[in-house]
Amino acid sequence: MGNKVVTFTEQQLEDYQDCTFFTRKEILRVFKRFREVNPELVPKRMTENQAHTIAVPVEEIEKLPELKENPFKRRICQVFSHDGSGNLTFEDFLDMMSVFSEAAPRDIKAWYAFRIYDLDDDMFIGRDDLLEATRLLTKGELHPQEREDIVTSVLDEADVDGDGRLSFMDFEHVVVRAPDFLSTFHIRV
Amino acid sequence: MSVLSHDDVFAVHNLKTGTLRLRRNNSEHNALLDEVCEAVDAPDAVDKQAEIIVREMEQHQQLMDDSPVAEELRREALRDLPQGLTMKRNVRAKLSASVSLRSKRRPISFFRRMKYRISFAGKKMHDRLRNLIFSIELWYEAIRNIEGHFGSAVGSYFYFLRWLFAIDLVLAIFVVAFVVIPQVFHDKEGDSIKFGFLDFISGTGALEDSLLFYGHYHDGDVSAIPNLTYNMPFAYFFTMVCLYIIFFGVLCYRTAYSYRLNFIYTAGGLSHVYANKVFCGWDFGVVSEQAAALTANSLYNEFKSFTANSLYNEFKELLNEQNKKQVSVSALTRLGQYAANVAVTALVLALIGAAQFALWLLVALRPSLPYWELFVSFVITAVITLCPLFFHVVVKLEFYRPRMALYVTIARTWLLDVGTLTLLLVYYTRSDIQCWETSFGQETYRLVLLDTVISLFVLPLFEFTRALGHKFSPSENAPTFNIAYNSLTLIYNQAVLWFGMLFSPLLVVCVTLKLFILFYVKRECALRACQPATKVWRAAQTQTILYMFVTLSMFTTLFVLGSLFFRTSSHACGPFRGYEFVYSVVSEGVLRLRERDSLRAALHFLVRPGVIAFVTLSLCVVVYYVRSRALAQRSMVRLLRQMLVLQAKDKDFLLTAISKVSNGEWLYSPKPATEDEGPDSHTVKYLRDVRKPSNAGFHFDASRLSHSLLEGRPRSYAKDNNRSSIAERKPEDGDTDSSFSWQGSNNYLNKSDDGDKPWM
Repeated sequence: MGNKVVTFTEQQLEDYQDCTFFTRKEILRVFKRFREVNPELVPKRMTENQAHTIAVPVEEIEKLPELKENPFKRRICQVFSHDGSGNLTFEDFLDMMSVFSEAAPRDIKAWYAFRIYDLDDDMFIGRDDLLEATRLLTKGELHPQEREDIVTSVLDEADVDGDGRLSFMDFEHVVVRAPDFLSTFHIRV
Repeated sequence: MSVLSHDDVFAVHNLKTGTLRLRRNNSEHNALLDEVCEAVDAPDAVDKQAEIIVREMEQHQQLMDDSPVAEELRREALRDLPQGLTMKRNVRAKLSASVSLRSKRRPISFFRRMKYRISFAGKKMHDRLRNLIFSIELWYEAIRNIEGHFGSAVGSYFYFLRWLFAIDLVLAIFVVAFVVIPQVFHDKEGDSIKFGFLDFISGTGALEDSLLFYGHYHDGDVSAIPNLTYNMPFAYFFTMVCLYIIFFGVLCYRTAYSYRLNFIYTAGGLSHVYANKVFCGWDFGVVSEQAAALTANSLYNEFKSFTANSLYNEFKELLNEQNKKQVSVSALTRLGQYAANVAVTALVLALIGAAQFALWLLVALRPSLPYWELFVSFVITAVITLCPLFFHVVVKLEFYRPRMALYVTIARTWLLDVGTLTLLLVYYTRSDIQCWETSFGQETYRLVLLDTVISLFVLPLFEFTRALGHKFSPSENAPTFNIAYNSLTLIYNQAVLWFGMLFSPLLVVCVTLKLFILFYVKRECALRACQPATKVWRAAQTQTILYMFVTLSMFTTLFVLGSLFFRTSSHACGPFRGYEFVYSVVSEGVLRLRERDSLRAALHFLVRPGVIAFVTLSLCVVVYYVRSRALAQRSMVRLLRQMLVLQAKDKDFLLTAISKVSNGEWLYSPKPATEDEGPDSHTVKYLRDVRKPSNAGFHFDASRLSHSLLEGRPRSYAKDNNRSSIAERKPEDGDTDSSFSWQGSNNYLNKSDDGDKPWM
């Protein structure tokens, strides 16, 4: 294919390969996905700068089929966004997909899962975070009292140091030993 | 962005037990971090933060060498940095600049440069290989689509199928290249064979003496090209043996990997029923709206049932979780349950035995009816297809937890499959058929063919009929994709292949083709006829079990075939007809033992019972040693976990103490004035020595302490605390010092619980 458009420079690709868990072609596939979201905004050729300046608004990112049905989609975007707003540049997006990829190790996944469940961004998963998470998980069908009960039980189980909220250590302790964590915390590009 | 997030950044690093241990160990650095965190909104914050990370990494000589190893380490470190990509790239640029700056000082020798160049090329190769594998990845979109609709559990069945297909494809390529093609060259007369449909199904008639079966293969040299000969017995023997052994290794590796991932890493956890549901309940791979709604609904139902506390334990069981707080059933009931389990197991085993016996009688009948063999194969296939269904029913009479019940069913089915195959093989070796190898090859060929018919036509037909029924009368349950049963048929299929490959080289090609078609058929079945399961099926650990059974069938095969090699082979047909035993290919064909007396004597010595007993015994010793180490480590883990809990209590206690201090309620007096506790008593000593913050006992998450609990206290104090505690985080401390503190703190807690705190 002679007229193939070169999306990234060699240096960029090299960088991306070193900083993510992806191969070259996967990176290009991720880019294709990213570009599909908003072809007008995202140019076919990414310069060094555009890769981390052009941000696609969060509302459009959420429409991606991979995220569309996810109850935590907004929070996921916020966690990976460079400025916390949820708008994603290509580099943010690549980072996100890298964390959700199969090759990413447990530790990294656990860290980002922690960030995602920490909805109010205070570095602890508190009562309110858990209440909100259970609401999102069941699409708001659970009675508030029931949610209270569930959250109390979760804290009973997982809060090792007994301060009424889950630190990263507590969270990791649960998640790293959960047999299904790796298979569920996984998005295929 | 707060100070804490940085702490955790490095905590994540500390977890990487390998070479990387990025610890914050200099106070200057601490100060730097604080500075940056305050100035994080400044425009060049990213730059500055990158600077800090680079400086941190520069502390590690290992990382900063200008060698491929260090480069790989840097790459790993960079990848595992929980920071945005923009930041990582920034760090990377700075890091490589710094590295090249340093490396200029030292010239490297020619030899080293060569070494680097080679390992660099190796890395490039590896990357390219990954790229290649990625681009030829089969059925990527298809499986992604299925996963989106049905969740990762059904997806894992398709991964299993694809994995088997890949293995069989590689096997097929080797067998065809080294065994079949040379034989084709040898046969080149090329009279086209004519056979009817029944011949095709039964593998008899004209097909009997064809490339398909063992008996046809030549027993001498093939010389299609002048001056070059190809020894067919050698080729046949070594290709098969190598393939069996290599693939046994691959299977073992794959199983061990899966086991490690799904059992060992997750072993010993407390049962976090609720927490697991909340944190791992959502399958992030779900794409379709329907599946998402179903997942939410099933989570809703599960939570709902949790809250009904009286039913708590029952539902816990339903959720396949290990239940520690089992309802205390009376000993008598439990005895009854055990008895039922044993009785049913005995019944099933008896049934399997009876089925095998009946099959033996049936095979041994051998009336001279045309296509009688086909009838026998048909009966075997029917037994093997229907019995698992019976096992699924019968296991409901027993008292297992659901996941265990599944394992038990799989194990029973596997026993039936492998038992039947072994029985057939044994029957044929003992029979007086002229060329029993070919007959067994035909048998496996028929079994594969009939199984193909069943899994490609009968089962899909059944599923589509049910789906149609559901369409017209929605009250009927829609079929869900039965992962367990489908996986079991795959295991059976693979077991037949392991057994038959030696006797029917082209069987592996048939199976590969079959799996290829099966993938598309199953995909259509899943997408068109099946509904997503209303209950979330946890597949991760079951996958491991499936791999394990494939490996076990392989092991049985190796065992059976190995013992066959020491029996006489057919002298009428096959590549080994020139040798008395199959293993003589090695002993006489290659090593020429008859001519080399010393080698023969050495080998003779090696296979003496004494030597073998010695080897076995030393293996036992090694196993015992490894096992006792594992036990010791397990108890260590238990101890550490207890310590963690106690230290949490400790901290809790300290927190109240600190809050009292800050309220001015508590005045510290170094000498406790109590009557019953002399200055030399254990507790006091402990208080003096161990309770000081610089000692090991108190390092549990001091960083958090500094952040949240010492609010309003002088910052320097918090930092001191923090630093000293991290400096103590050496693994060797864990053994002595903190176990002492654990005991001590226990003591200490007991004291404090009395309410009257003597040292206050």
